[in-house]
Amino acid sequence: MRILIVEDERKVAEMVSRGLKAERYAVDVAENGDTGWAMAHTYDYDLVILDLGLPGMAGSELLRRIRGRNARIPILVLTARDATASKVENFEAGADDYMTKPFAFAELTVRVKALLRRGPSNQANVIRVGDLELDRLTQQVRRGGRRIDLTPKEYALLDYLATHQGRVLSRTMIVEHVWDQSFEGLTNIVDVYVRHLRGKVDDLFPVKLIRTVRGVGYRLTDEETP
Amino acid sequence: MNTRSMRFRLAVWHTALLAAAFGVLGGLLYATVKEYLYDSLLETQARRARQIAETLVANTPRTGEDYVVREIKLLYAPELGDRFIRVTRANGGVLYVSGPPNDQSFDPAEVPPANAENRAEFTRLERLHDGRSLLIAAFRAATAREDSYLVEVGTSAGPVDRFARHLLALLAVGIPLVMALAVVGGYFLARRALEPVAQIAVKAENITQHNLSERLPVAKTGDELERLSMALNRMITRIDDAFVNSKRFVADASHELRTPLTVIQGELENLAGDPRLPEELRDRVGSTLEEVERLGKIVQKLFALSRLDAGEAQSEWVRLDMAALAGTTSDQMLLLAEDKRIKVTRETDSPVFVMGDRARLKQVIVNLLDNAVKYTLPGGSVHIKVWASGANGIVEIADTGIGIPQEAVPLVFERFFRVDRDRSAGDAGAGLGLAIVKSICGAHGGRVEVESAPGSGSRFRVLLPLASQ
Repeated sequence: MRILIVEDERKVAEMVSRGLKAERYAVDVAENGDTGWAMAHTYDYDLVILDLGLPGMAGSELLRRIRGRNARIPILVLTARDATASKVENFEAGADDYMTKPFAFAELTVRVKALLRRGPSNQANVIRVGDLELDRLTQQVRRGGRRIDLTPKEYALLDYLATHQGRVLSRTMIVEHVWDQSFEGLTNIVDVYVRHLRGKVDDLFPVKLIRTVRGVGYRLTDEETP
Repeated sequence: MNTRSMRFRLAVWHTALLAAAFGVLGGLLYATVKEYLYDSLLETQARRARQIAETLVANTPRTGEDYVVREIKLLYAPELGDRFIRVTRANGGVLYVSGPPNDQSFDPAEVPPANAENRAEFTRLERLHDGRSLLIAAFRAATAREDSYLVEVGTSAGPVDRFARHLLALLAVGIPLVMALAVVGGYFLARRALEPVAQIAVKAENITQHNLSERLPVAKTGDELERLSMALNRMITRIDDAFVNSKRFVADASHELRTPLTVIQGELENLAGDPRLPEELRDRVGSTLEEVERLGKIVQKLFALSRLDAGEAQSEWVRLDMAALAGTTSDQMLLLAEDKRIKVTRETDSPVFVMGDRARLKQVIVNLLDNAVKYTLPGGSVHIKVWASGANGIVEIADTGIGIPQEAVPLVFERFFRVDRDRSAGDAGAGLGLAIVKSICGAHGGRVEVESAPGSGSRFRVLLPLASQ
């Protein structure tokens, strides 16, 4: 899997590329729009991460050109601008996803993986994490065969954690997926729900599935590692 | 009527000046006219007295006294001319005195004798007992026999006094009348002249930081008011520029901070996830990461505020039901309250439609509810009420929390204001939540109010214009 990063901020480019390389992707970096365009139509990339504020060719122009040449390549836009109008404009110009700086790297990798798989990361009807079982059709949850009653919000939270099992999800990502953007800055709502969810899912069992990742968020896993 | 207004004071001043001027003028007029009439009347009497003295009385030794009396009666007929004539001998004996005049204006018998002065000629105003007065000119006539007679000729001062009284009455009525006209006229004149000032004041009153692009009306009159309004307009332009600059600064700064924050956050995340990192350091990295996230949120909120300032409040403009929005939002947040054993009650029966941006208005409710829960002690309660009143839809969020000290109430909507740093410690908000609420309400043509007292909770009220049917 080969990813092109078009980003003029060297450190952001480095940070993103190092992180993605650690996830075993091949990563190229272009530092301006013109180089980005040259690389994009020379090599075959599986994904483009594109900063909008670029020297040389503007990011939105590059976005239009890449999309004009290849209709199927996923493009993830990074920007410091988060006006909704600009968001809509870029989706219309062909962006597949959109992230506002500053962002959590964990969120970036989640989104990158989602884009590369072209679809939800787990579309199975039944998800299993250790002895936890989610039936997504009936929205029923069992652990060790025992049925657990969850409120709709608790279920939505557990579903989101389970579909991305093993992966760290930031509070912001959780808020964005389970609630909506109005709750940005209100991430303590996540902590409260996670505590309630733990009370139902983990407290009665020796293996704790919901893990806290200090400063980042949560992940759902049955691995033994911390 | 505002007694301190400029037009009132102008009218008062110009009335006072007019009153003084008219008063002095009237007084002078009255005194001069009366004086002149007395003088000319006295002069006539004096001339006659001299005539009688020189042509008749001086010849007494030759003609005899009876002749003089006869001649006076014949030539001067004082009774017919309403005149007083008296001829007195040097020893005080009266040679002749005229009879009561035709018009009965005085009684000659009542006129006291002249003071036996030795002056040859003098005049006096004789006041009679009945209040009437006589103007008398006296002339001493010397005869050849070293003898002398005092000839007095007088006439009633009544006509002159009456005229003077009439003049006084005229002035007393006329001056106030003219004054009244001048006051009313002056008031209206001042009002007309100052009308542009009132317009400028009204317009200036309506210019706030949200419509600094507007300007005061400038009447092309070339007068002081044109200069004033142009000077004010230039001042508004400078304020506008300063505001634009400071907003742009906030927008630029929050924008520029994003990239370094992204790098810091990303690197810290990488570090935190690095298995080679000792547990103790991982904790510290995590703690730093939390602060970076908090900083990122502040930057985001500042940026959001600067966009609201720039008028980019609504990305959508739809008709929505505030009651339903408050209902679903509070449902989503219910657990936050339950977690603190805070009871949330709702009164949102009938739909209350307003126009606006759903996400922004939801943000208002989220921020207010979050605050209500945050500052209410366990066991307390939060009440949400949505209703329509007049032209407004009202969302009220009242809590039984710790309340806001009186002196802090007017400041809670200020940016970065926090009642005290301790009680919101650990809060990522940094005192921008209510500033955002205020900005969003303002951008929707509404406002937010607060009532609060320490210990008895806070009551926030959002007023938004109702959508037309």
